[in-house]
Amino acid sequence: MPKLVIEISHSPFGHENAYAALFAAMAWASMGNEVAVVLKGEGVHVGRKGQVDPFKNISLPPTEKQVNELLEVDGRVVADRQALQKRGIKEETLIKGVEVLDPIEIRALIIEAGEKFLSF
Amino acid sequence: MVESSRKKTVTMMLFSAPFGSQYADHLCRMAERALDKGYAVEIFLYSDAVHAQMTEQNPKLFFPVGEAVKRLIEKGAVIMSCEICSIARGYIKGELRDGKKDYSSTKVINGLNFCSIYGFVDMLNRADRVLSFGGS
Repeated sequence: MPKLVIEISHSPFGHENAYAALFAAMAWASMGNEVAVVLKGEGVHVGRKGQVDPFKNISLPPTEKQVNELLEVDGRVVADRQALQKRGIKEETLIKGVEVLDPIEIRALIIEAGEKFLSF
Repeated sequence: MVESSRKKTVTMMLFSAPFGSQYADHLCRMAERALDKGYAVEIFLYSDAVHAQMTEQNPKLFFPVGEAVKRLIEKGAVIMSCEICSIARGYIKGELRDGKKDYSSTKVINGLNFCSIYGFVDMLNRADRVLSFGGS
């Protein structure tokens, strides 16, 4: 199965990056391909659970729903442990199914994926 | 020069609008070099990057992205633009007409085409190398 790694380094809502990245990840996965979304830097906020209807409240699509849908089709969502720690984000506040990896493990994941890597 | 019987394909994704940053400039320069070296080049304009498709761009001091896009098309690059991003930004209507999507527009550089995110997935599958510009 072709692999794609997508890195998100922006938090949701302020920029379109997270939404667009998850949209592309879902399209890739829905065609039977393997995908891993890596949350780095401010991107780790994408992994947090408990968004309160962003569509209703700020007219923006809920990225938490996108993450859950991606996990349902066996996509991987991986958060950088160091970035979480620096921002005081506890692992238990993450969406169920989001993995936490050390930077060195994330590098290995990206290298393993080969040529197909997108950065948002 | 690329010497295999099948040209290797470099697929590039642009995520940022022209002029606000140099991502579009870098992509255009690299794409042109790749074409000159014999690679097949496919480009996907995503999100604000669809502004690179606008006709009548007239940057006085900045790299002329519109002219570079035209030159890339002339040299054989396949440039696809995100359909839903282009509809959102008023470039095309994308409505069905006689069973086909209406992509006619006076605002878009000739020779550029539109596709959904699934078209981008096809491009990624065809790619020998993938480069992304402007995401982070």
